Amino acid sequence: MSGVSAADVKKFIVSHLSKELESSGRMLNGDPPDDFDLLQEGIIDSLGMFNLTAELEEHFGQEIDFEGLDPEEMTIIGPLCRYVERTLRQ
Amino acid sequence: MNKNGSLADGFLDSATYYPQHNAVFVDNTFIRYDELYETAARIAATIQQYTPDPEPRLTAVFAYRSVTAFSGVLGSLLAGNGYVPLNRTFPIERTRMMLERSECRSVVVDMPSIAQIDQVIVGIPYRLLLVFPDTEDISQLRDKWPQHMVIARADLACSGRWTHTQPNRNDIAYLLFTSGSTGIPKGVMVGHRNVIPFVTYMADRYGITDNDRLSQMFDMTFDLSVFDMFVTWEKGACVCCPSQKTLMKPGKFINDLQLTVWFSVPSTVVFMKRFKMLKRGSYPSLRWSLFCGEPLPVGSVQEWEKAAPNSIIENLYGPTELTIACTLYRWNRKESIDVSEMGIVPIGDPYPDMKAIIVDEHLREVAEGTSGELLMTGPQMTLGYWKEPARTSQAFIVPAGKSDPYYRTGDRVRRAGPDKPLIYLGRVDFQVKIHGHRVELGEIEAVIREESGLDGVVALGWPETESGAAGVQVFIEGEYDSIETLRQKVARRLPDCMVPSRFHLMDKLPLNTNGKYDRKRLIAILKELS
Repeated sequence: MSGVSAADVKKFIVSHLSKELESSGRMLNGDPPDDFDLLQEGIIDSLGMFNLTAELEEHFGQEIDFEGLDPEEMTIIGPLCRYVERTLRQ
Repeated sequence: MNKNGSLADGFLDSATYYPQHNAVFVDNTFIRYDELYETAARIAATIQQYTPDPEPRLTAVFAYRSVTAFSGVLGSLLAGNGYVPLNRTFPIERTRMMLERSECRSVVVDMPSIAQIDQVIVGIPYRLLLVFPDTEDISQLRDKWPQHMVIARADLACSGRWTHTQPNRNDIAYLLFTSGSTGIPKGVMVGHRNVIPFVTYMADRYGITDNDRLSQMFDMTFDLSVFDMFVTWEKGACVCCPSQKTLMKPGKFINDLQLTVWFSVPSTVVFMKRFKMLKRGSYPSLRWSLFCGEPLPVGSVQEWEKAAPNSIIENLYGPTELTIACTLYRWNRKESIDVSEMGIVPIGDPYPDMKAIIVDEHLREVAEGTSGELLMTGPQMTLGYWKEPARTSQAFIVPAGKSDPYYRTGDRVRRAGPDKPLIYLGRVDFQVKIHGHRVELGEIEAVIREESGLDGVVALGWPETESGAAGVQVFIEGEYDSIETLRQKVARRLPDCMVPSRFHLMDKLPLNTNGKYDRKRLIAILKELS
């Protein structure tokens, strides 16, 4: 059982993606809203999503089962962070 | 299909026989053959009206997963021009360079790409025809670019004014830019005479009918998209193009659209496995599953065959220079595992009209069972590189004892015996596959050298994966003030998959016994760091 909160997950995702974005001269708002869609904002694609999940596992030191994550919500920051929080707690 | 005809002939036939059938699913809408024909013919008539006899005979299509992307490709071909796909998800500077180097006189643009058009056409010294087939109000653009001809939807010529023009034997069907080792992308000229045999063979081999639905996972800047569109239209089938959002849920797309033919890079399988989209029996509608673009891991095929139990799986191989794909291997559950090497599915045998030889570094054929570089020739061997005769003659050569030119694939292969399939072993040079994209490490190095002013630069595919690499890291010899600034400059010139994730500065780069940068040693350093 982990004490990781959705806010921790969001913090990591924002910091990780910010670093990636800097390389192309773009920015990610420090606290994007819950319904912020990383895909539609052009921040991530399927390859980026794949890499992000690997980074999340490495950072939190635990395998994450993405089975229950609705593909519709996969790239939306609020649902994504809450999903990772729930999964890490199981 | 007439072998001296146009790549668009199959579409025209299908539009005659099946006008009411769906030709494309895009933007969540089905478009019928008669509708697509109407728009394409209007675009073609407009191009013919404003740029009669253009030199070169090329039209750029700056559109992404939209109706205009499809009608633009067809419109260019119907006008008698080859098409040059441009992609707004690429860095603008790269798109601008492709347009400039192609010297297209006409550009078809979809609405979402308008945001980039100013930066893409800036500095073009000649008059351009800019066609916006899905945009009503373009007065701002007209005011801004008085030197160019700007055409909105309402200004398109009538389809009745389109004049059917048959291309000449060596005319270009499409010009596709691929990564080049000098820092400048190479334009591969693919002729109608190269692509028509490919499309004909594929459509017949897979028995495509007007009941089929094919996937379009590939962007048009990737030549595998030519299979998706033109194999579909050859037989009156429907090509189904997911939106950028839907690319994240390919499994749902297969089932929602009841696709019958699937074609993707193997990385998509890895992605789908990761997100648990490969459950047993998930995709019963698929009758063919085709993979191309990077080495196909045995593990991925085994996952896929469980999820799509009614489909036959084939692994296709081919560089852009040999027109999309030129060898293939049919997966067989009983035998294939034994003939696969290093967990990678064989690339099989050349297409019936294509010839392959395996040579050593002196371009002499090797003995059976020995590995060497794969050289191929045949009707699919393309016309060479756009305006680069030197590069063309380096890559398209006549080997000793042969009378025909062959294309040097740069791929290392082996055939264990006369009845055995070709096995792919890796790149001869420093090209790597990063998630299906062919990347010349030399191009990345060249860009970094230019931007940093430093000479000692080595780019490496890292971390290594079964099918190539997951990304790029770079070593630079010397000192540089701001890596961050350098990274930004590089990212403005290279697509995301080519931008290094890490820059390592070293006082001195290690050299090997030949006095060259020691890549093995650098790989060892990366291993230590990871």
